[in-house]
Amino acid sequence: MLRKRFMSVFAPLLVVCLLIAACAAPEETAQDEEPAAEPAAEEETAPDAPPEEETGEEAPAEEEAPAEEEAPEGSEEGGSTTAGGDTYRIGIFSDLTTLNYWNYLGPDSTVWNGYFQSPQRISLTNLSDVDFQLYPSAVEALPERPLEQEGEFWVSELTLREGITWSDGTPFTASDVAFTFNTAIELRLPGNWTSYVDPNFYDRVEAVDDRTVKFYFTQEPGLAVYEYGGLNLVGIMSEAYWSPIVEGATGAVDGLGDPPGEDASEEEQTEYQEGLTEALNELFQHEPNGEPLAGPFTFGRWETGAFAENSAHDGYFEAGTTETIYADGSYVRTSADGDEFTVGEAASEPTSEYAIGPNVSSAIYTLYSDQNAAILALQDGEIDFMLNSLGLQRGLQQQLETADGVQVLENQTNGFRYLSFNTRKAPMDDVAFRQAVAVLIDKEFVTNQVLQGAAFPLYTFVPEGNAFWYTDDVPKLGLKEDGTALTRVERMEEATRILTEAGYSWEGGEEPTYNEDNDQIEVSGPLLLPDGSPVPPMNMLAPAPSYDPLRSTFATWIEQYLTEFGIPVTAELTGFNVIVERVFEQQDFDMYILGWSLGIFPDHLRDFFHSERAVPGDNNAGAYSNPEYDELSDQIKSCTDLNECQEISVELQQYLAEEVPYVLLFDTGIVEAYRTEALAYPYEEALGGLQYVQGIPDIVEVK
Amino acid sequence: MLSYIIKRVFQIAITFFLFLCLSYLLMEAMPGDFGQVFLDDPSLTAEQREALRAGLGLDRPPHERFLIYLGNLATGDMGISFTYYPQPVSDILLERAPRTIMLFLTATIVSFYVGFFAGKILAWRRGGATEYVTTVGGVMMYTVFTPWFALLMMWLFASNQGFDLLPLGKFIRPELWRDAPVTTNEVFNPMLLTMIIVSAGLFALIVGTRRLAIQQRNFIRLGGVTVLLAGAAVYWLTSGIGFYALDIAYHLILPIMTLTLINFAGTMLLTRNSMLETLREDYIATARAKGLPDNVIRDKHAARNALLPVVTSFVFSLAFAFSGGIITENVFSWPGMGAAFLEAAQTQDVPLVMGTLVIIGLLAMLAHLAADILYAFLDPRIRYA
Repeated sequence: MLRKRFMSVFAPLLVVCLLIAACAAPEETAQDEEPAAEPAAEEETAPDAPPEEETGEEAPAEEEAPAEEEAPEGSEEGGSTTAGGDTYRIGIFSDLTTLNYWNYLGPDSTVWNGYFQSPQRISLTNLSDVDFQLYPSAVEALPERPLEQEGEFWVSELTLREGITWSDGTPFTASDVAFTFNTAIELRLPGNWTSYVDPNFYDRVEAVDDRTVKFYFTQEPGLAVYEYGGLNLVGIMSEAYWSPIVEGATGAVDGLGDPPGEDASEEEQTEYQEGLTEALNELFQHEPNGEPLAGPFTFGRWETGAFAENSAHDGYFEAGTTETIYADGSYVRTSADGDEFTVGEAASEPTSEYAIGPNVSSAIYTLYSDQNAAILALQDGEIDFMLNSLGLQRGLQQQLETADGVQVLENQTNGFRYLSFNTRKAPMDDVAFRQAVAVLIDKEFVTNQVLQGAAFPLYTFVPEGNAFWYTDDVPKLGLKEDGTALTRVERMEEATRILTEAGYSWEGGEEPTYNEDNDQIEVSGPLLLPDGSPVPPMNMLAPAPSYDPLRSTFATWIEQYLTEFGIPVTAELTGFNVIVERVFEQQDFDMYILGWSLGIFPDHLRDFFHSERAVPGDNNAGAYSNPEYDELSDQIKSCTDLNECQEISVELQQYLAEEVPYVLLFDTGIVEAYRTEALAYPYEEALGGLQYVQGIPDIVEVK
Repeated sequence: MLSYIIKRVFQIAITFFLFLCLSYLLMEAMPGDFGQVFLDDPSLTAEQREALRAGLGLDRPPHERFLIYLGNLATGDMGISFTYYPQPVSDILLERAPRTIMLFLTATIVSFYVGFFAGKILAWRRGGATEYVTTVGGVMMYTVFTPWFALLMMWLFASNQGFDLLPLGKFIRPELWRDAPVTTNEVFNPMLLTMIIVSAGLFALIVGTRRLAIQQRNFIRLGGVTVLLAGAAVYWLTSGIGFYALDIAYHLILPIMTLTLINFAGTMLLTRNSMLETLREDYIATARAKGLPDNVIRDKHAARNALLPVVTSFVFSLAFAFSGGIITENVFSWPGMGAAFLEAAQTQDVPLVMGTLVIIGLLAMLAHLAADILYAFLDPRIRYA
C-alpha cells in the first residue's frame, strides 16, 4: 500500500519533471536561442537618429544579447529583425481577420485590421497629425485645380516623389498606383473601395512614366472624392506581387459577362451577384506571403488568436521628415532633404515638433479578449498601450488613474449621439416641433448632474476637435447668447413660444406653467397640432442600459421632459440590433437615439441628410428632405477649393442646427491609457484619441 | 446490443436534425443580421450595402438559406465565415479545436480526478470537520461567478500586485514566438497527440495488468509508465520545439487551476453521494466482517461501485471539453471554440455559430451513446434489449 501511495505521488511528479527537462531550451539550436534572448539591444536605428544613440546607456545588460541575423525585407520572416526592448507593445481586443488589403477595404473591413494594416501602406496624400491637414505624401504636390479637360474626361497628372521603394528594394512606381486604382475600378470591388474609388467619378488611371500618374474622371471630382478620397484613403499595392492574383480574379469576373441591366429579373441579378462574389473571392482569399510594402512598417508575423507583429521598414521614404505644429493650427512638414510643405502662416509659437520614424523596431499587437485582463497587463508592464475604438470603460479609467507609471488620456471623440425624428410623420415633419423638442431637452443637466460629467453636451454637427471644419457659429437651441444653458422655466417658455407661433396649442386652452412648489411643469392637457387634433402618442427607440447606459438615461429624461410638456412620448429601451432593424430597414419608428462616428472631411453632412439617402437601408432614416439643403450638400462632394468647401460645410451645419433633423445630444471623451515609463508620444491631444491614428507607431518612442 | 446501438444512432440522427433546425431558427430569430456592420460606414449607399449583403447570401429568405446550409452540410461544407470572410468555417474550427481540447480536456481530467478523490474521502469520513469545510468550500467554488473568480485568480497569481508567478492569460508569449519556426498549432497538435498517447497507454497499462499478481503488476506498471514518459521526453527533446510547448504548458496552468477549482466540486458531491449509497450495501458490511483494511473496502469495494454516475458525468463533460468555455476562454484570452462561438454570436456570423453548434451537438450526442455503451461495460447488471 505504501508503495502504491508513493507511486501515486511520485508518478505525476515524474511526468512533470521529465517534461520540463525535455522541453528545456536546447542551447545548440538557433531557433530556440533567439526567443530566449529577451530584449536585445536595439539593432536597427531609426534613420534619423544619431549613431551614438545605438550604444546608449539605456540598457547595458541588453547589449550582451546576440545580434540577430537580418532576414530579407518584406518576407514573412522579415518582420522579426530584432527582438529588442524598443518594441511597441500594444493590446488589442479582437483578432485580425485578414492580412489581405483588398479584403480589408472590401468585405472584411474591421477597425482591428485597420490598426494593423494602415501602418504598412502609403497613400498619395495624407492628413497631418493633430490638425488633420492635407499634405502630399507619395506625390510631390497636391493636384492642381481646376483639373484639365481632355475630351470627355477630366484629367489630373501627379508626380511621385523620388526614391520611394518597396520593402523588397524595388522602386515604387506610377504603375503600382495605376494598378491599384484600376483593379478597384475594373473589378467593381465592393465595400469601402466603392466609396474610396467612386465609380461615378473615376474612369481609369494611367502610368505616363515611372513617376507620373494620370487620373481620368468622368466628371470633375471634388476634394472629397479626389484629394480627401481616393488619393488619401487608398493604400497603394505592389503590382509585381498582386498582378497574377488580380489577373485570376479578372478572368473569373470577365467570364461572367456583362452585368445584368436594371430590367433584368431578380433571379438573374442574384445569379450574377453570386458569380461575382465567387470570382472576387479569388482575390480576397489570397493570404499575402512576402508582399512588398511601402509604409513605415512591414508585416512581421500573425499568430492567430495570439498576436500580430509589424516590423520597422528601414527604407521608409518619410523617415527623417520633421513635422512642426503651430499654435494657430498651421503646419510645416520638412523632409529629410530639406523640402518644406506648409499649411497656414506658421508664424505663431510651435506647439510640437517631432521626427517621423519609425523609432521602434517593431510593434506587437497582443490580443486580450477581456478588457480587465488587458488592464492588468498594462499595469504589469506586459503591454504599453491599448487600442480600442471605444476607449476604456469609466470604471477602468478610475482604476488606472491610481496606478503607478500609467497615464490616462481623455480626448474628444469624432462623433456624436443624437435623437432623430421620423419626418415622414406629423408632428416630426414640422421644424417648429423639432426645435421645441431640442429646447426642452436639458442636455447640460443630464450630462453634468445625472451623468456626473461622463458625457458632454453637443451642438454642432462637426465636433470641435475637427478644427478646420468646425464652426461655432450655429444656432444653439437651449443655450443663451452668452453660452449658458437656459433654466427649466426659460426652456418651457421658449418651447411654448415656438409652438404657439407655429399654431400648436394645449387641450384646455392654457399654456404650460411652472409650479415652483412641486418643481413641475403643468399643462392643461395634451399638445394639439395646428389643426386642433391631439399629437399622437409617439415612441422613442433607444439602446437598453446594458448596451449604452448613457443613451438609455438620456432617453428616460427626454421622455420625462416631453411628457410633462404634453407631448406623449414613450421611451422604448431595446437591443441595438432591434433599433437598427426598425430604423434603417423597416423605417418603423417615430424617434430614435443612436450615434455616429465620423471622418475628417465633413461629407457626412450629405451622407446623413441628403433626400436621396432616405431609402430603406440608407443613412437618412428620418427622411429629412429639403431641396435647398440637397443642392448645397451636393456641393460638399463637388467643391474643389478647400476654403470653398469649408464655407459650404459651415452653411450646412447652420442649416442643420436650424432645421433640427437630429437633436445632437452628447458625446463622451475617449479614454485611453499608456505606460509613461515605456513610451513617449510627441502629442497626446488628438481628435478620436491616439487610437484614431493607430497609436502613431511611426512617431512614438519607446524609452 | 448491436440493434440497440443502431436504434440509438437513428434517434441521434433525428435529434441532431431537430437540434440544427432549432439552432438555426434561434439565430435567425435574432433581430438584424451580419449586414448591419456595413452601416458603420456612412459613405456606403443602400445599394452598395445591399451588394455586400448579397455577397454573403443575406439577400435570400431565411428558409432558403437554411435549406442551402443543410445541403452544404451534408457534403461536409460548413460554409464561409462572415467575420473571417472568406475563410471556410471548417478551417477556423480546425484551427481553434486543438487549443480548446488541450485546455479543457486537461482541465476536465484534473477536475474529475480531484473531485473523485475528494468525494471518496468525504464519504468515508462523513460527519467530520473536513467534510463540512470541503463541501461548503466546494459548493462555493461551484457557484462562484466565473468571470470574477477567473480575474481574481489572474490578479492573485499572475499580476505583480499578487504573486506574479504565472502569465496573465493568453496562450503564448509573443516575445518568444515572434521568431518561432512553427505556428502554435504545429505545437498544439503534437502536444495533444502526446497527451492522448500517454493517457491511452496508461489506461491500457492499468486495464491490462489488473488481473496480475500484485508484485508483477506493480513492476509492469512502473516500467510502462517510465517507458511512456521517457518516450514523450525523448520526442520533445529531439523535436526542437519543446521550448515552445513548455511556453504553452506554462500558460495552461492558471486556466486549468481555475477550471479545476470551479468544477471539481460537482464530481466531488456526485462521488460522495454515490459512495454513501454504496457504503450502505450488504457487501460492504461483508467486507468489513471479513476484516479487510479500510482503504481496500473504500477503494476497491465502494469506490469502484460508486463510479458509474461519475463516469457518465465524465463522458458528458468530455464532449463539452471540445466546445470549450465561453467565459473561461474569454477571460484568459484563450482563442478556442468558445471564444469563436461568442464572437460569432455577437456579430451574427451564422455559419460560424452553426459550425460550432454542429460540433457541440454531434459530440454531445456521441457522448450520450458512449455513456450508454459504457454503462453496459461497467455494470454487468445492465443489459440492452
